[in-house]
Amino acid sequence: MYPKPIPPSHRTSRILYMTGVWAVLAIWLLPVAAIIMTSFRTFDDIMAGNYWGWPTKFNILENYAAIFQHTDMLVYFRNSLIITIPSVVLVLALSTMTGFVLSRHKFVGSTLLFAAFIAGNFMPYQVFMIPVRDLMVSLGLYDTYGALILFHVSFQLGFATLFMRNFIAALPGELFQAARAEGASPMQILRIIVVPLVRPALAALAILLFTFIWNDYFWAIVLTQTDAVKPVTAGLANLRGEWVSAWNVISAATLFVAIPPVLMFFLMQKHFVSGLTMGAVKG
Amino acid sequence: MSNVTLKNVNKHYGPFHALKNIDLDIVPGEFVVMVGPSGCGKSTLLKTIAGLEEVTNGTINIAGRDVTREEPGDRGIAMVFQSYALYPHMTVRQNMGFGLRIMKRPPEEIEAAVQRAARILRIEELLEKKPAQLSGGQRQRVAIGRAITREPHVFLFDEPLSNLDAALRTQMRVELATLHKDLNATMIYVTHDQIEAMTMADRIVVLRAGVIEQVGTPLGLYHNPANRFVASFLGSPRMNFFEGIVSSIEDGAVVVNVDGLPPLAFANIREGHGLTQNATVAVGVRPEHLHLSGDHEIQAPAKIRLSEQLGRETVLYADAGALKTVGSDTGTSDVTLLAGEGGIPAEASTVTFGFDTNRAYLFGPDGQTLTTEKTIGA
Repeated sequence: MYPKPIPPSHRTSRILYMTGVWAVLAIWLLPVAAIIMTSFRTFDDIMAGNYWGWPTKFNILENYAAIFQHTDMLVYFRNSLIITIPSVVLVLALSTMTGFVLSRHKFVGSTLLFAAFIAGNFMPYQVFMIPVRDLMVSLGLYDTYGALILFHVSFQLGFATLFMRNFIAALPGELFQAARAEGASPMQILRIIVVPLVRPALAALAILLFTFIWNDYFWAIVLTQTDAVKPVTAGLANLRGEWVSAWNVISAATLFVAIPPVLMFFLMQKHFVSGLTMGAVKG
Repeated sequence: MSNVTLKNVNKHYGPFHALKNIDLDIVPGEFVVMVGPSGCGKSTLLKTIAGLEEVTNGTINIAGRDVTREEPGDRGIAMVFQSYALYPHMTVRQNMGFGLRIMKRPPEEIEAAVQRAARILRIEELLEKKPAQLSGGQRQRVAIGRAITREPHVFLFDEPLSNLDAALRTQMRVELATLHKDLNATMIYVTHDQIEAMTMADRIVVLRAGVIEQVGTPLGLYHNPANRFVASFLGSPRMNFFEGIVSSIEDGAVVVNVDGLPPLAFANIREGHGLTQNATVAVGVRPEHLHLSGDHEIQAPAKIRLSEQLGRETVLYADAGALKTVGSDTGTSDVTLLAGEGGIPAEASTVTFGFDTNRAYLFGPDGQTLTTEKTIGA
């Protein structure tokens, strides 16, 4: 096991270590704290330059109400859900199938196909920006939910396939042989044997995908233009234009946008952590 | 109850020839055990019968039907795996009924089949449990029960007892043999354990490097091995092999010179042995035929190096000077002897052991047995 735990007998080291941990945590959380505080401030407070201090007056209700009254955040929020949920569901369904085939069936070119799925992960996605935008324009999907769903599904599929393939490959091979000997078709094996056994992997993957897709900003601004289809991340950026320096409202909106992924993380923290390490271990 | 017939079955994995011209006839109700060292192709052969591996060429008949190109599920087989391969997310009841559910049988029929199998294997009280809650022996019972519910033409076992501890293995061995009698089913069983093969089989199939070396009853193979490989594979402790040179051939009698022994005259040699003078041959004698007392044709002195006392018998490893064994269990050139309960010589003591040439086997340069068949039980 590395790093080695500090034994309780080393008192000084332990105290230093714990102090260090808290210090790092504080630095890490400081911007978040600042955003939370800012979302409580009045506009006047910000104009007066009170960015880090205690708010002179708490304006919580007004700031948060402003998100719904003066901005289109609700529309963006709905757009994000419309984009994220089908994308996650589609990626889960497709990657379970691709993972199953690539881990359990050998066919000519299977290794190459798998390599192609993985290789996609290593491409810096910025290089796709112009081709993908042009593609969506010629497909007539530019500035629609479809553009983002299609892109996210295909782009996340590489990682998701690797993840599911490794997980399914780690299941004992005799299980599949037993099911086959009992007359189960590949589709039945997938449905009755594989899906129930990979449920933990699917849960972990769902959270990862939800977070990735919900938090995407780059493709949101590349592939959408109108407010009617913009997801929250792009919508947030819009607020700056409309409310030049209303940082208190922007902060409030930011926190509002962060609710779903944070909520998901806390609800399924166990799966999230295992998801980060799961696919990587066995190959 | 049905027969299984393999005709000229071949299996290639790329350049590797895993099964070579396998011909085998299994009669209804027979318990056939396939043995061989690891990598000999016994599991591959079982999987080709199951349909989990495709044959390169040749035909497989089960119950009079050509199933060579059929899916495993359509062949009327049921397989029991070494790792049991129980579906971890299903209860014992669901595991045992899985095959029938796939076949879309009515629920009452499935339940009846599960109950019947559970009764046979005495696992009725485990039906609601998940595999993880069961012990190794119980899991193996469930795996066998899963096979029984499908009422297959043939049961296939792939080293089913290898994951169990010694005590449980003996118990399951007896249970499987009993089950075979009760169900009167055709069973094919793969193992590397010669004791399982000897105790359970109606007939043993010995495989080496994808080739069937010999097929026969356990005692038939033990007493009349077709070649040196079969002779060395069956029997524990292993047969002693001594290398020798043919010194003369007269009227079917062959005289062999082995270093450290007086000349051995074999009268019981098969026709057409093809031996020539100065050919290198091997003489095989089972440890139980090397006697520490009495008058025997061939006698030699040896110094006891090590004794393994097993209670009923004692295995002795002895250094016989110029007389060296080849290919022994222990990797040494010591002679292996067996002593009964009485008269166990002390370690480091010198003994005289003897044997009769009619108890010995002569193996030709190609390893084939050249001595004529011995009467079993004589």
